[in-house]
Amino acid sequence: MLEDNNRIFHRKKILVVFLLCTGAFIGLFGRLVYFCVWQAEHYSRMATDLHERERSIKAARGRILDCNGKVLADNKTVCTVSVIYNQVEEPERVIDILCKELELSEEYVRQRVEKYSSMERIKSNVDKTVGDRIREYDLAGVKVDEDYKRYYPYDDLASKVLGFTGGDNQGIIGLEVIYDTYLQGEPGTILTVTDAKGIEVESAGERRIEPVSGLDLCISLDMNIQAYATQLANQALATKQADSVSIVVMNPQNGELMAMVNVPEFDLNHPYELPEGTPENLSTEEKQNILNGIWRNGCINDTYEPGSTFKMITAAAGLEEGVVTPESSFSCPGYIIVDDRKIRCHKVAGHGSQDFTHTMMNSCNPALITVGLRLGLDSYYSYFEHFGLKRKTGIDLPGEAGTIMHKKENMGNVELATVAFGQSFQITPIQLLTTASSIINGGRRITPHFGVQTCDKDGNVVEVFEYPVEEGIVSAETSATMREILEMVVAEGSGANGKVAGFRVGGKTATSQTLPRGSGRYIASFVGFAPANDPQVIAIAIVNNPQGVYYGGQVAAPIVRQLYENILPYLGIAEDENEQN
Amino acid sequence: MVSHVNREYEENRDGYEKKLYDTRRQGKTKHKKKEQSEYFFDYSLLFIVLFLLGFGLVMIYSASSYQAFLEFEDSAHYLKKQLTACIIGLVLMIVVANIPYHFWERFYLIGYLVSAALVPVVLTPLGVESHGARRWIKIPGVGLNVQPAEVAKLCMILFLSVMVCKMGKGVRSMKGFLVMVAFPMPIVLEVYLITKNLSSAIIVLGISVLMVFVASPDYKKFIIMALLVFAAAALVVYLVVSGNDFMAFRGNRILSWLDPESDPTDTGFQTLQGLYAIGSGGVFGKGLGQSMQKLSFLPEAQNDMIFSIICEELGLFGAVAIILMFVMLLWRMMVIASNAPDLFGAMMVVGVMGHITIQAILNIAVVTATIPNTGISLPFISYGGSSVMFLLIEIGLVLSVAKRIQLKEL
Repeated sequence: MLEDNNRIFHRKKILVVFLLCTGAFIGLFGRLVYFCVWQAEHYSRMATDLHERERSIKAARGRILDCNGKVLADNKTVCTVSVIYNQVEEPERVIDILCKELELSEEYVRQRVEKYSSMERIKSNVDKTVGDRIREYDLAGVKVDEDYKRYYPYDDLASKVLGFTGGDNQGIIGLEVIYDTYLQGEPGTILTVTDAKGIEVESAGERRIEPVSGLDLCISLDMNIQAYATQLANQALATKQADSVSIVVMNPQNGELMAMVNVPEFDLNHPYELPEGTPENLSTEEKQNILNGIWRNGCINDTYEPGSTFKMITAAAGLEEGVVTPESSFSCPGYIIVDDRKIRCHKVAGHGSQDFTHTMMNSCNPALITVGLRLGLDSYYSYFEHFGLKRKTGIDLPGEAGTIMHKKENMGNVELATVAFGQSFQITPIQLLTTASSIINGGRRITPHFGVQTCDKDGNVVEVFEYPVEEGIVSAETSATMREILEMVVAEGSGANGKVAGFRVGGKTATSQTLPRGSGRYIASFVGFAPANDPQVIAIAIVNNPQGVYYGGQVAAPIVRQLYENILPYLGIAEDENEQN
Repeated sequence: MVSHVNREYEENRDGYEKKLYDTRRQGKTKHKKKEQSEYFFDYSLLFIVLFLLGFGLVMIYSASSYQAFLEFEDSAHYLKKQLTACIIGLVLMIVVANIPYHFWERFYLIGYLVSAALVPVVLTPLGVESHGARRWIKIPGVGLNVQPAEVAKLCMILFLSVMVCKMGKGVRSMKGFLVMVAFPMPIVLEVYLITKNLSSAIIVLGISVLMVFVASPDYKKFIIMALLVFAAAALVVYLVVSGNDFMAFRGNRILSWLDPESDPTDTGFQTLQGLYAIGSGGVFGKGLGQSMQKLSFLPEAQNDMIFSIICEELGLFGAVAIILMFVMLLWRMMVIASNAPDLFGAMMVVGVMGHITIQAILNIAVVTATIPNTGISLPFISYGGSSVMFLLIEIGLVLSVAKRIQLKEL
């Protein structure tokens, strides 16, 4: 009987054990359901991150096209060579071959091959033929990925405008910087599944996230005008042995820049090449300084004293304010006394008695000083600001320099007088051109720019850029008067060398002495526009430190004349019948 | 020859034992055929075990082939070793199943002493170090490594079964209870302190407690004990979480268990890698052989963590299938234990049942980060020659007990 009781409680206990254990199994089953169902996505994602190694694929950078669709900046296929530490089987052979093929020092390659990392880039922008050759060795652990390198078909054409890109496909200077976000595109990725040691699992294949190409940038620059302007600038640079020559051609109606030349230019395909004759052993910093000088866009990044071309602004302000009319008469004894200072006219003998139009034609300093003084400091200064001269133009190029101008409270009549004929302050050439445009185009201050629109690969327009225009800089009447006066300057005055047979050209010359005075260094410049009655094109030529004759009328005006002789017919601007003879 | 224990049995126990002897005598005089049909052979249990072994071999090959090829240039390296162990184990199982289990009674004390003596041998030159732990003994000439802890588990089952029978009613008293709990302690401590194998120590202790639980009609003591253990565990976790310096080594394990993602590079690494495998398997799994985590990401993929590879490749369904097989195994052993011809047989089956079940539960609990990470293999499935051999010997014992069950008794 007792034995049976024993059996019963043993059986009961065994059942309890069974139930407890089954309960534990059910609990664990619940736990599994939690992981396999609720947490499945979370852990799968984390596991995938763990299993996949990334290699990025460069996106094709958008091209830069000129206004006729000519490709100014393109891509060519190059290779990036990298090593995957865990997959390298013969490190010595790899080092050997990479040194030889990539022309790198053994130390450099060894350091990278032996570095314990998931993926180490040895060299990018390797020529495709070299990349193909390395691929043919079939070295384990060496990856040759194709990508794109920026390529500029016209080498140094518009180098300081276009700019170039760095190894990571990012813009370094010029339009490449400003429109980087449009041009860059989205890099893609190659995801390879690897085991824990980083060895590729071949059966798993690759997952590619395709790169998105950058957008093409269409700019207003005209390759033909740019090329011709470059030719003229180089000519002037050579004949006048100048330091540099800049030419900017713009549409004064909307601010579209057709050409911007700064010679000497540099080769965009080899932007890091130092000019010949540079000392060998320079520090990195010194080298960079030299390069920065080479890459500098004088039209944007540098300021200068505009000199007599600025008389346009003083004249416009005077006319607008009504302190002067074209018929107002002035007398020039060859100097003018402002407060205690005697300021000379460039013509020591004086221009004698003349009306206002003739003072501009003669570029008479005392007359314009008189206009400035008539306006008075307050009025002149507010015109200076009203014309937008103290602001930047907003051009779509990086590093635009600001205006260097007296503070109003520090200005007296002497300073006012010097400013009135374009001295003692500094502006950029593009600032002068923009302000001159607003004076002759009916009083609209336009924003100078290159970027017109972006297009996708198939040429469909994606975005058309719009630029601010400020109306009412001067009245239409003042603008018309200024056009007439400036046309007279070219037709019969100091800008006669800018005259183009068959076309009505207006303009103004300048010869400014650079600081410090008396150094014998001059900047000769000329601003000219055509047709004078309805300006479609405005151009500035600046010759920096010409040797021999240095007058703007003789050095700079002929450049613009030659330019116009070619580009006005090219632009389809009709010859004026009255000018035929 | 009738042993002392047997005599005691015959004094204390019911008549079915006698009946069994009678029937046997009867059977001997009659047809052989009739004898076979009269006694029970648990084919279900055998089938479940064979299924688990076969499944284990497939999963070991799947989980280890990549790593095996990298290490030995032979993707079937682990599979071959395991297959050999399985065959040896099955032979041993058949042998043991055909030996009347009372044969082993006489070895209970020797077994106890041998397992106590064997554990320190790992410290001698015979000991083999693997995975940073010295837990194996090399058997000279055979090329097999044996874990003394495995021997200890088997011997402890035998020893306690005999002790329960010997003590008879004495086990019900507090003194008897304490004696029963005290016996396994030296071995448990040895395993824990000498081989630094907490999990095996827990299993030996667990087997012992389970057997005492079944042997004693009392519940109260065990409930109190369970509560105490639970409270102690909670206290340890609390101390670790509150930043106490106490138990720094185990402390890290506990912290990484509580939040494996917080420390994926160190102690939480294996746990987290296991969870990646389980989670990425989802409900239906990636398919057999498609595991990513076995590609050297998950340490011990073919061993302690094989269950997570099963989850990754076969999904929740594969995992449930395995759990169901273990529950069925448990059920078969419950049936055998309940119907065992005598207490000795019942206690042995309970011991084996405890061993396999505790190990399976702890393994799955570790893999699912339910308890802190400690190295426990999944019975019959994980790679490990000595483990699978001893498990098969234990199954042999169970089958031997089952064979003595008269069909009428069922």
